[in-house]
Amino acid sequence: MALAFDEFGRPFIILKEQEQKTRLSGLDAQKANIAAGKAVARILRTSLGPKGMDKMLQIPDGDVTISNDGATILEQMDVDNQIAKLMVELSRSQDYEIGDGTTGVVVLAGALLEQAEKLLERGIHPVRIAEGYELASRIAVEHLEHIAQKLEFGPSNIEPLVQTCMTTLSSKIVNRCKRDMAEIAVKAVLAVADLERKDVNLDLIKVEGKVGGKLEDTELVYGIIVDKDMSHPQMPKRIEDAKIAILTCPFEPPKPKTKHKVDIDMVEKFQTLRQQEQKYFDDMVQKCKDVGATLVICQWGFDDEANHLLMHRNLPAVRWVGGVELELIAIATGGRIVPRFQELTPDKLGKAGLVREKSFGTTKDRMLYIEHCANSRAVTVFIRGGNKMMIEETKRSIHDALCVARNLIRNNSVVYGGGSAEIACSVAVEAAADRYPGVEQYAIRGFADALDSIPMALAENSGLQPIETLSAVKSEQIKVLVSLKST
Amino acid sequence: MAAMMQPQIILLKEGTDTSQGKPQLVSNINACTAVSDVVRTTLGPRGMDKLIHDDKGNVTISNDGATIMKLLDIVHPAAKILVDIAKSQDSEVGDGTTTVVLLAGEFLREAKPFIEDGVHPQNLIRSYRTACSLAIEKIKELAISIEGKSLEEKKSLLAKCAATTLSSKLIGGEKEFFASMVVNAVVAIGNEDRLNMIGIKKVPGGSMRDSFLVDGVAFKKTFSYAGFEQQPKKFVKPKILLLNIELELKSEKENAEIRLSDPSQYQSIVDAEWNIIYDKLDKCVTSGAKVVLSRLAIGDLATQYFADRDIFCAGRVTEEDLQRVAAATGGTVQTSVNNVIDEVLGTCEIFEERQVGNERFNIFSGCPLGQTATIVLRGGADQFIEEAERSLHDAIMIVRRALKNSTVVAGGGAIDMEISRYLRQHARTIAGKSQLFINSYAKALEVIPRQLCDNAGFDATDVLNKLRQKHALPSGEGAPYGVDINTGGIADSFANFVWEPAVVKINAINAATEAACLVLSVDETVKNPKSESAQGEAAAGAMMGGRGRGGAAFRGRGGRGMRRR
Repeated sequence: MALAFDEFGRPFIILKEQEQKTRLSGLDAQKANIAAGKAVARILRTSLGPKGMDKMLQIPDGDVTISNDGATILEQMDVDNQIAKLMVELSRSQDYEIGDGTTGVVVLAGALLEQAEKLLERGIHPVRIAEGYELASRIAVEHLEHIAQKLEFGPSNIEPLVQTCMTTLSSKIVNRCKRDMAEIAVKAVLAVADLERKDVNLDLIKVEGKVGGKLEDTELVYGIIVDKDMSHPQMPKRIEDAKIAILTCPFEPPKPKTKHKVDIDMVEKFQTLRQQEQKYFDDMVQKCKDVGATLVICQWGFDDEANHLLMHRNLPAVRWVGGVELELIAIATGGRIVPRFQELTPDKLGKAGLVREKSFGTTKDRMLYIEHCANSRAVTVFIRGGNKMMIEETKRSIHDALCVARNLIRNNSVVYGGGSAEIACSVAVEAAADRYPGVEQYAIRGFADALDSIPMALAENSGLQPIETLSAVKSEQIKVLVSLKST
Repeated sequence: MAAMMQPQIILLKEGTDTSQGKPQLVSNINACTAVSDVVRTTLGPRGMDKLIHDDKGNVTISNDGATIMKLLDIVHPAAKILVDIAKSQDSEVGDGTTTVVLLAGEFLREAKPFIEDGVHPQNLIRSYRTACSLAIEKIKELAISIEGKSLEEKKSLLAKCAATTLSSKLIGGEKEFFASMVVNAVVAIGNEDRLNMIGIKKVPGGSMRDSFLVDGVAFKKTFSYAGFEQQPKKFVKPKILLLNIELELKSEKENAEIRLSDPSQYQSIVDAEWNIIYDKLDKCVTSGAKVVLSRLAIGDLATQYFADRDIFCAGRVTEEDLQRVAAATGGTVQTSVNNVIDEVLGTCEIFEERQVGNERFNIFSGCPLGQTATIVLRGGADQFIEEAERSLHDAIMIVRRALKNSTVVAGGGAIDMEISRYLRQHARTIAGKSQLFINSYAKALEVIPRQLCDNAGFDATDVLNKLRQKHALPSGEGAPYGVDINTGGIADSFANFVWEPAVVKINAINAATEAACLVLSVDETVKNPKSESAQGEAAAGAMMGGRGRGGAAFRGRGGRGMRRR
């Protein structure tokens, strides 16, 4: 706020700590904001498309992330400017909603701002520009719906889905085995999808990674992989037709939640207590045996004594399995989570065709595979790769691919990529612009130009001549369009 | 104080800032106009938004006068009055907050030359008050009632009102979409006065168009324990049990301690605890409820127990949401699971857990009592959704007001022009100074159409002249003409469905006049030095026995204190 002066010539203060506040208004404010938005878009521009480059991000404590995913890059960049933060939010919300296209959305927003700057300089009222953009975006979306094609697919015909996922993956670091990855993603999504309700709960897909091996070793497991091993090294490493007891109570004497104290004043009493404890262990193991369990998975730990007893009674067990994994195991094996030994009944056991422990390479790391489950509504994508960064990036790529597959199940129409949809929209918007009276026309044209920036960036990143390529594609599109109209 | 001759009498404590008389009045007016200039550009459909960020890094983008004024952190005492009227307009009618600030600022601006010319403020105040009551009568006369129309007709009329409000906001591009959504929500809660029955949930992601209205309740999936995913996620006509107890294995009494002397009794204690929780769970199950909601935690044990019996449960539901579910489904919140009878169970058509954006939502739709509605807002960025929420709030308030008072006036500056004309006409019949003042009041009212034009980039003078001509037509047919924001000319606002509830305008004019009169009636400000040093000094003064000085300062303040106290 400009400093106001009273009649004595003294300045008076209207806002608290007025001097420390800054205020930008009018064209300056808009220009500054546009510059910030453009700066963010410029960073991401080179990551767009299959030939896009990756960014390496290092946080102060030395952790390194390499990514091609717009949302991830912006998330890690720790942006300070307010407008730039809006761009970050934009890409994040695209990530939440769609899961892919996070780079494209920012590049497009940047291009729109760039066009707006030119229009502002010509003295067009900003709200008119905004209105024009809104009109144009409606035209573009309508056109997209018009040119979209329905994909037919079913559980037996997954090829169209795989093809679409491959488009996503081709821009990622994993593109050398994109076919395999796409297949994995599609199969995983189809396994957990509720095709009738068109609902896919991605929580049911576990993505696990382990350093070592190579990318090609990545696999889809119809079941669960847990990063745990058997509680006793001598327990069997392979169990076929396992019946699994899923427990959320520890293998130890139960404790009341109320504070308690046991008064021991004689040797006999102490011995009874000791015996009772032992009996508990015995009962617990016996109970599991009785209902026919061949494997015990427990959320908590065991006493050494219990461990020994389990080993002795030939009952393999896994301990310290997290709640989420436990739930997934329960879903996959069709078992029920049992909170108490007394509740254990044969029909609450989960069933799995094969449970095996697998060790990797020369390391001592072992993982537990629970496969061939009765109900494969929970699946695991197990990623292998040379280093941690690679695995993290692969996880993100798989996530994108999963999201793409999910979106296709929700809505099975697709448009063609490689910038063709953008160019088609641009042509449509450009043509529609002439129909609008008023200043909005300019804004609509600006929108059309901004749409061109996606194919331009694609061409640029691939080392092609951007303008030449764009004009060639555009003229081709218009030629086809005209011929379509004439026929 | 400088005027005082020697010997100097110290009346007020050192550092106290006093100013009085005409210059003070003028500087107060200056401060108020400076503040109203900030929100000036946000008026109308072509108004610009303001981005405000504080030192904590919170960013707000808003077009709402009250929100901007609140965030400006104004300390000037006179200018604060403007913040207060914006707030009061917000809480009273919910919209027109920019209008009220702008009007108050303009009334003061018009008053300034008179003050400088030596007119006594009380004269001005009296005339302004007369003008205000005349204006309000005129509005009431011009207002058109929508009473007695069928529900369908009413709905579309209300949607017009909502659309007018929304057109000036960030979501103006989708105003029809949101207007009908707001109207449906307001009609759904009926005459219910509790505004919190309309829930607004914000989910980042997607586009504005993905926002939807649930004729019931929707809330985000609560924290869940293992076993939750095994529960069924969709029910048709479920019975719903609402609880306010914990369903968890825990000690019943915090401070109880059990002493055992016989180790063999150990098991019985453990069993007893388990039985308590199992008993509770069993009662929930036997009540026949298929959905169990609790305001407190539902533990992992209970989750698994319910999953076993194909019951859906959610713990830690927020108080607000639970109340809404209760109102919508007709259930009552229970604090015990004993004696759960059918009457206390709620029901709805469909219960479902659905994916919205990145979140999973529990949605109760088709509720029998239908006294609630939930709007799920979607949008690109957080700030965007926040602003959308504020805009929807304005629209909801407008629709509610219109539903209650059922009179509307033409917007787009038409009503302001008409009042202005009426006042000018009236002024001519008055002899004396008052004529001038009422004329200036009338001129101040023209600021609304003028600002609308300015913000849209039109030639305000040109448009205003056209409007004046239309409104001056003796037949009165020009009354509904206002600024046409699309072409830069003038148009019949009423025919174009630019409508505002009459109560918004009445309240705005009332509040603005009051604020202007208040500022005009103040001729002295006494400002104490910074409070903490003042207190320190006062305390030190009292202790050191600086006799009289502290006391005089207090007395002086008490005796000549500001008018506002």
